[in-house]
Amino acid sequence: MRTAASARRSPRRTAVRVGKFLGVVLILGVSLFPFYWMLSTAVDPNPLGRGASLLPHGFTLEHFRFVLFDAGFVHYLKNSAVVALATVLISAAVALLASVAVARFRFRLRTQVLILVLLVQMVPLEALVIPLFLQARNLHLLNSLAGLVVVYLAFSLPFAIWNLRGFVQAVPKELEEAAYVDGANWSRMFFSVLLPLVTPGLVATSVFSFITAWDEFIFALTFMQEGSKYTVGVGLRTFFTQNTANWGAVMAASTIIAVPVVIFFVLVQGRLASGLTQGAVKG
Amino acid sequence: MTVGTEAPSPPATAPARRRVPVRRRLTRGAAPWVLLAPALILLAVLLLWPLVRVVMLSLQDYRLRNLIRGDSNYVGLENFTKVLTSDFLWSTVLPNTVGFAVVCVVLTMLVGIVVALFLNTLGRAWRSICTAAIMVAWAVPAITGTYVFVWLFDPLNGLVANTLDALGIMEAGSWNWFDDRWAFYAIATANVVYHGFPFIAVTVLAGLGTVPRELYEAAALDGAGAVTRFRSVTVPGIRPILAVCIILSTIWDFKVFTQIYLMPGGDGTNRSVMNLGVWSYSESFAQGLYGMGSAIAVLLTVLLLVISVVYMRTLMKEDEL
Repeated sequence: MRTAASARRSPRRTAVRVGKFLGVVLILGVSLFPFYWMLSTAVDPNPLGRGASLLPHGFTLEHFRFVLFDAGFVHYLKNSAVVALATVLISAAVALLASVAVARFRFRLRTQVLILVLLVQMVPLEALVIPLFLQARNLHLLNSLAGLVVVYLAFSLPFAIWNLRGFVQAVPKELEEAAYVDGANWSRMFFSVLLPLVTPGLVATSVFSFITAWDEFIFALTFMQEGSKYTVGVGLRTFFTQNTANWGAVMAASTIIAVPVVIFFVLVQGRLASGLTQGAVKG
Repeated sequence: MTVGTEAPSPPATAPARRRVPVRRRLTRGAAPWVLLAPALILLAVLLLWPLVRVVMLSLQDYRLRNLIRGDSNYVGLENFTKVLTSDFLWSTVLPNTVGFAVVCVVLTMLVGIVVALFLNTLGRAWRSICTAAIMVAWAVPAITGTYVFVWLFDPLNGLVANTLDALGIMEAGSWNWFDDRWAFYAIATANVVYHGFPFIAVTVLAGLGTVPRELYEAAALDGAGAVTRFRSVTVPGIRPILAVCIILSTIWDFKVFTQIYLMPGGDGTNRSVMNLGVWSYSESFAQGLYGMGSAIAVLLTVLLLVISVVYMRTLMKEDEL
């Protein structure tokens, strides 16, 4: 006890504390600064005259009003929300079924299916823009929100399957067997035992799918050529190319796009991290 | 609790298994495939078939007119010879792609691991606060994050130019760094590392929690210093996680598109800053040379697959899958 008490007062200990404090300040500062800069530009009445000043000139919501109502971002937000929600619902359902198959059944080619799921994540989707564009063009799916949803399913599925697999595996098999013993059939067991228990994983995975769809840019840029079908990303780029120096409005639009994602991320951070490592190391 | 013969849970003993009727055995064999079917069909139609298609397109001189007529125009390996013998690939595009990816992966891993090790020493409350903060950096979409960096580095009105101006280092507006290949990629690197390090930090931090504390205590008893403890306890303990992190960030950083495309001149107008992704895109959608664009896309894919396979062979063990 005596050594601990004296250690607390020792200069080395103080140095460690100061070092930790500085580390925390550095992490918080670096991580949050670009976000702060975006927010503070968005509310600054005169962002171009701000120079090197860390604080905005004043506070205005004019930039937000301008991008939402004059520049059509309300419409883009609606398009993005529809696409993202449809992607989330379909990919959650499909991925859950697939993850149950690979986590709960032992069958021939199981390992191969898992490797396939892992490998397709490595296909650069940017490389598939050309064939998918031609395909969508033939099927008249350009400028359609449904076409974009279909493509985003392909993006979110491999990760969703891989991630959910960890959560399904974590559910004790005995619980399922108990349900069978009580006379439940497979679907009954699925809905009343497995589904409630993997819901946290499903939420984390869904948030991930949502963000994938919400953030996606290159396919939205290629597929959506009519202004009325723009998602937020394409809308922002078009707006930027037409109003290059209007940084207040560009940052206001960026804020509107980024805030939902940031909120989702911070909400599910714990689950997300555990899901990622489960997907990575669980056998 | 009586276990009847009807219990569908697979009996453990071999004689019991033989009694399961053929029909049920078939259903049980088919069940995983029924569950997998929607996912596999979607992946096949949306990932595998386009992958085949892009290879087919890369062997054609496929232009806008072929697109309209719907015919094919095979020319063999002509696109590949053109790409691979072009000076532009070797002097500009490949260095931009590979150099940028290597720098980004190294920096992202270093920053991520250092942050994770640091967070691991903090108390619960501060760790949560810092994790939430770096989550914000991770969460900001690539599109908006890139515009924030472009704005920060705006040559005339941006924060960086004006700070340098105030310090008397350079006059704001005197130099457009987006025109310079090195400055352009320095800004892009900052953007990509800023966006990428939180994933590494959070994942490694979670991994650090799985390393048994007793190992550290034992190592400390053996007189191991902090560096030795890190090298011989931490690194082996989180090796699978580090492997996954390296593989994923390499893949991400090789195919960076949005963060380059949205920077001034990055959409193909400034050819000196093109990378493979942007080159492929602009050949196809700006020039209408879909065959040529596909050939470049195939090269990018092959490059990524080779890297992934080599990584998985060297970094991951079979049983870790």
